[in-house]
Amino acid sequence: MAVTATAPVRTRYFVRLKLRLLRNGLRGPGTRVFGFVLGLVFGFWMAAAGFLWFLLAGLEPRADIGLVTVVFTGSAIVLGWVLLPLLFFGVDETLDPARFALLPLPRRTLARGMLAAAAVGIPGVATAVALAGAVVAAGTRGGVPGAAVGLAGAVLTLLLCVAASRALTSAFAALLRSRRARDLTALLLAVVAASVGPIQLFANSLAVHASLAPVLRAARVLAWTPLGAGFAAPYDIVAHRPLLAAARLAIVAACVAGALWWWSHTLESAMLGASSGGRPGRGPARGGAVDALVPRPLRNARADTFLGILARELRYWSRDPRRRAGLISAVVAGIIVPIALRVAGGTHGARLPLPFAVAFPALIGAVLVANQFGYDGTAYSMHLLTAVRGRTELRARATALAVILLPFLVVVAVVVAVLTHDPAGIAPALGTIAGVFGTVLGVESVLSIFVAYPMPESRNVFSVNTGTGGAKAFVAMAGVLMAAALAAPVLVVAGLLHGLLAPLVIPLGIGYGLAALLVGTYIGGDALERRGPELLVSVTPRR
Amino acid sequence: MRPQSWTLVPLAGGANVQDLARLADLADLARPARPAKIWPVADRAAACVAALPSMTVIDGGAALAMRSLVKVFDGLVAVDGVDLDVPAGSFFGLLGPNGAGKTTSLSMAVGLLRPTRGRAFVLGHDVWADPVQAKRLLGVLPDGMRMFDRLTGPELLGYQGLLRGMPAGVIDQRAAELLDVFGLADAGRTLVVDYSAGMKKKIGLACALLHAPRVLVLDEPFEAVDPLSAATIRDILSRYVAGGGTVIFSSHVLELVERLCTHVAILADGTIKAVGTLDEVRGGRGLEDVFVATVGGRVATGEELSWL
Repeated sequence: MAVTATAPVRTRYFVRLKLRLLRNGLRGPGTRVFGFVLGLVFGFWMAAAGFLWFLLAGLEPRADIGLVTVVFTGSAIVLGWVLLPLLFFGVDETLDPARFALLPLPRRTLARGMLAAAAVGIPGVATAVALAGAVVAAGTRGGVPGAAVGLAGAVLTLLLCVAASRALTSAFAALLRSRRARDLTALLLAVVAASVGPIQLFANSLAVHASLAPVLRAARVLAWTPLGAGFAAPYDIVAHRPLLAAARLAIVAACVAGALWWWSHTLESAMLGASSGGRPGRGPARGGAVDALVPRPLRNARADTFLGILARELRYWSRDPRRRAGLISAVVAGIIVPIALRVAGGTHGARLPLPFAVAFPALIGAVLVANQFGYDGTAYSMHLLTAVRGRTELRARATALAVILLPFLVVVAVVVAVLTHDPAGIAPALGTIAGVFGTVLGVESVLSIFVAYPMPESRNVFSVNTGTGGAKAFVAMAGVLMAAALAAPVLVVAGLLHGLLAPLVIPLGIGYGLAALLVGTYIGGDALERRGPELLVSVTPRR
Repeated sequence: MRPQSWTLVPLAGGANVQDLARLADLADLARPARPAKIWPVADRAAACVAALPSMTVIDGGAALAMRSLVKVFDGLVAVDGVDLDVPAGSFFGLLGPNGAGKTTSLSMAVGLLRPTRGRAFVLGHDVWADPVQAKRLLGVLPDGMRMFDRLTGPELLGYQGLLRGMPAGVIDQRAAELLDVFGLADAGRTLVVDYSAGMKKKIGLACALLHAPRVLVLDEPFEAVDPLSAATIRDILSRYVAGGGTVIFSSHVLELVERLCTHVAILADGTIKAVGTLDEVRGGRGLEDVFVATVGGRVATGEELSWL
């Protein structure tokens, strides 16, 4: 028996593997290719726009304004990398660490390889191109030393983006997995969400004073955080303060090192593969099988297929870690967005009317159910084998989400109305929520049948498959935009009816939402019955 | 090799009374063998489909009938014209090496995978034209499909019953019995996702049995099942067939097929290579010999892998 000597595993193997996987992913159905091309076009556009923006801002003759622009934009990009996967898109886990568990790889090699592979992809390349604009500008202003520092800052920032997004998503995924921690996590996220309000107020007051000084002060603070330090360093070179530049680069580098160290340690637990949530409950189950499934308040309802699917969906929104994570993200965004929208307009009375502000959290529901069949995966075969009627299925799914989200949306509307001193806006806001949410469910009842995609069986609930996560986000966004367009009449009515007529928006909105839901599930139900087997194929993970 | 069309041949010695009674039931099933001419797949399928009567109910005797089923994945022919009649009341074993097309054929026959060509019938109901009727009569244990596994065993059975539109009282009673018989009652509030592989097979089978189907289609019911659970499953299936049900299952375990089945078909390269009663297919030899000879397996000579 002999073991052949092996050459050391190089980082570029991982990159090549990722590229190969991306290419193979494209050999699928047409929709996947279309999604990828869409992502490519969007990425190219963002890269070009970012490059020009950084170039022009960097060349701005008034250094103060240039610094403010570059630091704020750069910080926004880093924050986007860290927060967006958490809230909406998920991280691309084309290379699942669990796949490498049996290979004799040192952790260092694996971490380096995974990181390089994570940077290869549309968002990574687009960010790199955009940051190149800052490097060119730094070189133009600061000569060779400027270019060198600019390059170092850009590379470190890119590393930070990739490493921090990985570290944070795996941290939250780990937290959300354990049942005890998940409530704590939700609370934490909610606190973060709520704190956006005061920050908005602060930024707002800055804008109101319309002077550069406070903004510049904020930028100078940001320039000492890892978010903006990499972008501010070239300005120190131009100002002949190389030590300051070095200090800033060191801050980013330290932060990158910290994120990498932490992430490479979580890699080991990620390699142990998928686990189920929580400990199994012991002890015999009591009562009948149907009563076990159906939650207590619904037990008096007629026991039929609709009730069954409704009950199972309700259980799944709380038991499936992926759905739970999506729900928490939606709730957090549902708190942040309306407050931000209401406050952003300032105190001049030009702020967004309440109904429009609360329409956004209702629209976010579309992101949750855009891939409602993908959540279930091949378990959908059970519905196919029992010939469930499409309409019944879609209506039950929509009802389940409404039962969960509608009370939350109502509370948000009332709270935001009270906080922003607009109690008269509550009635139109509630009507708008009913109309928009109904439209969202109706639109997704049709859309989700045609754009379903499989979810990876990974430990990380934020992971998405096949390197086309960006394109999947477009699918969700398309649903949001379609629903927004179709719900426009409700918004118009809510905007037009004032005073005594305002309460009329409630019945109108409810009627409109119900109609949209019925029409959507009617059309979608037929499509579902026709396309059931094709839907099953599209949610089956490719092996 | 052209698939052998299924013709009923009188059973050889060893046929018991039950078999003979079944034979009488199935007499109308015997059809003249098709001409031995080898047709291209497309023609064969077209001719076969064209020859079918336009009404949905045909072949009253076969519990499950596949007619020229063809599945092409991205230009790759996975199933190349499968014709199979599973006689009502039979315990039918579908054998074949990995990648032969067993799962693909069964999936097309039960309505999970749309065939490229061909049709499938459950007790005369076209699975693809009249799915509601066909699926009412079918119980299926698919392979490689997840269940709604974040439910507990009782919850999953309750869900299955509600999906089937059964009354709550009947669901509760049958679910309790099934859990008891399969030894899953102790699992209590454990989620199905935390079940062992054998328990998952058993709860899947319980789901398939809950609505008392006339025909059971099981894909690899004995895979990853320990001997104890296998014995339970075997007993339940035997009782089900004795009570008038029909079972068709795919398996690799030849001894099990030899012990349980009345009928056997061997599937390889997407076509049926041999089909008939167990004794017909065996032809006096052991099933393993017949299987290896039919499929054309390779025997290690001892020359290869010398470095091991």
